[in-house]
Amino acid sequence: MSEYFRKYIKKEHYANHYSNLKFKTSFRNCILEAFKRRLWKETEGDDWDIMWAEKEWIHEVLDHTHLQSNQKINHFRNHYELTRKDLMIKNFKRYKKNLEREGKQEEANNYNFFPLTFHLPSEYPIFFEEFKRQSTNSDTKTAWIMKPIGKSQGKGIFIFNKIQQISQWKNTLRYNQDNPQAEAYIVQKYIADPLLIGGKKFDMRIYLLCTSYQPLTLYLYRTGFARFTHHRYDSEDISNTYVHLTNVAIQKTSDNYDEKLGGKWNLQTLKLYLMTKYGQEKVAETFYNIQMLMIRSLQAVQKIIINDKHCFELYGFDILLDAQLKPWLLEVNASPSMTSNTPVDFELKCGLLDDVFTIIDLEKVLTGNEEQIGGFDLICKGNPIKLPINSTFTTYLGAFNNRQQQLKKIAKSTAIRLAQTYQESQTKAIEIGSKGQKEKEEKDKQMRSSSKGPQVMQNGGNGNNKPNNLTKQNTIIKRNTTNLPALGTVQNKNNIKRQPLQNAGQQQQQNQQSQSNSSKKNNPNEDSMLSANQKLQKLTQESKINQFQPYKQQSQYNEVMGMGVVSRNLQKNEE
Amino acid sequence: MQQLDNQEILMKLKSSKQFWDIKKKIKQGFNDQQKIGVNDIQKFAQSCEIEDQLIKLISHILKKSKKRETLKEDQIEFLNTSKIKWTELLFKNLDIVHQKTKNQEEDDTNTDSKLYIYDEKNLLAFLQTFKQQQHSALYQNVQFQSNKLLNINIPLKSSQQILDKYQYLLLQEELQDEKINKIRKQIENEHLDIELEKIAQTFVPNGERCLLYLKYFEFDHQETILQQNFTKLQKECLNQLFYDELLEIDGHEISEDTFYFVFQEQILTCLKCFIRDKTIKENIRIQLQNGIKKEQTEFQLPITGFFPFKNISKYVAPLCYLSTKIHIIYALFKEFFCRYFCFLHAISSENNSILSLCMQIEEIISTHSPKLFHHLKVIGCDTLKLIIHQLVYCFVGDMDPPHILTIYDQIIGHDSLEILVILCVGFLNKYKSKLLLAKNYENVQQIFQELREDKFQELVQFAYKQ
Repeated sequence: MSEYFRKYIKKEHYANHYSNLKFKTSFRNCILEAFKRRLWKETEGDDWDIMWAEKEWIHEVLDHTHLQSNQKINHFRNHYELTRKDLMIKNFKRYKKNLEREGKQEEANNYNFFPLTFHLPSEYPIFFEEFKRQSTNSDTKTAWIMKPIGKSQGKGIFIFNKIQQISQWKNTLRYNQDNPQAEAYIVQKYIADPLLIGGKKFDMRIYLLCTSYQPLTLYLYRTGFARFTHHRYDSEDISNTYVHLTNVAIQKTSDNYDEKLGGKWNLQTLKLYLMTKYGQEKVAETFYNIQMLMIRSLQAVQKIIINDKHCFELYGFDILLDAQLKPWLLEVNASPSMTSNTPVDFELKCGLLDDVFTIIDLEKVLTGNEEQIGGFDLICKGNPIKLPINSTFTTYLGAFNNRQQQLKKIAKSTAIRLAQTYQESQTKAIEIGSKGQKEKEEKDKQMRSSSKGPQVMQNGGNGNNKPNNLTKQNTIIKRNTTNLPALGTVQNKNNIKRQPLQNAGQQQQQNQQSQSNSSKKNNPNEDSMLSANQKLQKLTQESKINQFQPYKQQSQYNEVMGMGVVSRNLQKNEE
Repeated sequence: MQQLDNQEILMKLKSSKQFWDIKKKIKQGFNDQQKIGVNDIQKFAQSCEIEDQLIKLISHILKKSKKRETLKEDQIEFLNTSKIKWTELLFKNLDIVHQKTKNQEEDDTNTDSKLYIYDEKNLLAFLQTFKQQQHSALYQNVQFQSNKLLNINIPLKSSQQILDKYQYLLLQEELQDEKINKIRKQIENEHLDIELEKIAQTFVPNGERCLLYLKYFEFDHQETILQQNFTKLQKECLNQLFYDELLEIDGHEISEDTFYFVFQEQILTCLKCFIRDKTIKENIRIQLQNGIKKEQTEFQLPITGFFPFKNISKYVAPLCYLSTKIHIIYALFKEFFCRYFCFLHAISSENNSILSLCMQIEEIISTHSPKLFHHLKVIGCDTLKLIIHQLVYCFVGDMDPPHILTIYDQIIGHDSLEILVILCVGFLNKYKSKLLLAKNYENVQQIFQELREDKFQELVQFAYKQ
């Protein structure tokens, strides 16, 4: 939680202290709560630093307003290119065609995660041909689903398998006098063999944060939901929407809606179920496919979306698994619901938003190269971040959400780094003040620049790109090798030796020590400055390694993944 | 035991896949030879272990043909009379429950959801009465003063034997992918009980568990039959029974469990079919209640021969993690109940019975952790009262589903419920330090009300901790 940042980072070390920050929002749900928890102040005026606006506001206002350089807003100008059902499909189709034209057939084939879709009424003739073809080719009637483009939360959706059912719709809506602009719909081939759990259909809501389209920067949240319908699935009965639609908004109106559990599983429980039923490999593959599906969706609109450094966006992806565990994209929401229906749900959403705010980094304390921030993992920066092939993980989606521990670590290492840069700037100021000691200054500079070398990425402002990338790659490897005690390549073994499993606790202690060290040595004392600096640098390097440990240990992974055998080391540790 | 003649054995042999595999192997071995003598085959068979496999296969077939009789009479006479008393008691409870439901219909405001014929506490309380009975029966004999809740003269395995049997679990290590894949293939190709048990004893990879269970129960080629049977039972469910209501109430608890609420409907369907299944009476390994017709009571025992009890849903729930097909879940549940879980509700001196298991636990705790045992006694919360819930319901609700399924593996692997003894001992040891600080029953309850997470491997470790 952000409270770790408040706890560890000294007030004077903030580039922009949290007490100066102001937010504006019209939402009165988890969003307001998450803002308040960061101790930011609410404002009604235009002096906000961050605004969580409804998407309609963006359309109306953003084009005519000049934003200050520090202001952040939660939508991109033309987000609808991805989040409106018809445009999304159009963009996917177009991108796929482009790939084919460029000869990238293999990548084009990957764009197979959306069902056959037509825009109505404009594509009605093509649809009609397809409908006839489908119904003559197969014995069973193919079902199609109609979705009104402008509506959300499952409103206006219906399923049909006879063309008469749609001609009726044509008469009532398209040619209705009161409705001069015929309401646009999309019609999609209905995925008839969804995976059923407990005889019930479900879909997944997964959260993806995009902070930039150039370079494409994406963070994937580890926790999401599986939302169940409350009635047993029946492919025959297509008129009962309770059976087919998983939207909470729809299920809430059902008679046997369970208030307490909200008809949801979190992604970890779902993964545990799937692992138990289908085994680890199959499920790992599925979750990796989901992650790639999300990256590909954004890649498809990357050139279309107007990039803007003021904007970020938290997308809610709705994904369905079919009986073969293949993921299908149903839609992308630009403003996923931040209203909670259970206390657990409330905490989850507040945590999610808190992590979003940490990544947006209005306080300007992070380097921007962090691999994991809270429950978010960086999955794309320019290019998708690939984990090593022999990694236990293919994606962190649905893995144990260790955001509390992770934020604690990151807050500590950040505090150390900030204290160090603060000291440096202080010394500089003092040195500039006493011009007489030129000799000493030169010495200092030499010492400092030589010790700066190995940790370029610490100083975000460094213009040199190549070493920056290198260190980043290293850290990626480090992060994953800690999960792989069994697959010991030489490199791995070194890492394991340095960080044996049972040492997790010790490392934390070490961290705490280094933290207290740094605060002790904070007093600007010119004589001890150099040695203190060097020590600090060493400490930061150590703590950096810690920072990139996404899982406390393998056994924690087992916990989530539901493997019966649990590493004993950890238990000793916990006792 | 019914004897098979040679012809029948050959018939059964031919119906097993392994037989044809062996035949193929022999054929391959004599590929280029024209004349093959019986001696040649014998030699060849000996040299490449085919003979061994054949012997195993035949003994397997013989073992399978021996149908297990349902245990009706116990060798200890007073347990037989106790069973009759237990049944009478339950009939009385049934009357009370029935009266309550009637009252509820009249008065909607007073809905008591805790309607059940008996729960694990009733069962333990009944077992406790044995002590006094035996005392009075053996009044003249010198009895040692015992602190144990249950101290009955039944033949017991030595508790050390049980501890030794499961000690190998301590050395369980994480397996590498290669090894796991090998086990997968083994499960796919294996048909022999003994071999399947061996796999279940050590490690069953996720994703293969359902297949292993089905093979072990010999359901692997019977899916259509299972489905037909289930559909038949489902049709019978249209006729409402009084017990249906109790089962529905029972499902409420499971619906509050995050892991299982999704399956509430399936679980209920399974149980409704279960109490209508005529085949259970002949398949169940031990008779649970002695079905005497009582003319005063409005109701008779269900067709299964025993009353549904509180939390019966818990036995079905973890199995929902194995298959999306409800007839498979049902078949597995039925087999698990008839073979194993029935003993947890049986008044009997059998090794697996609740009585034996309880006494084993008391024995181990009183000898290995006498301090804890004594302390619990002093604060009026006997050891058994503490763990009876976990014991009777196989830790369902206390551990995550994959861990529960590991327990199920072990039950199959050893064809025994003794793993529960180990886990209960481990459970008590795990919370030992906290329990020793407890001053009364409320304190103890507080300890277990706190959020806790128990794991299979962890409890095994604790069980062997001194």
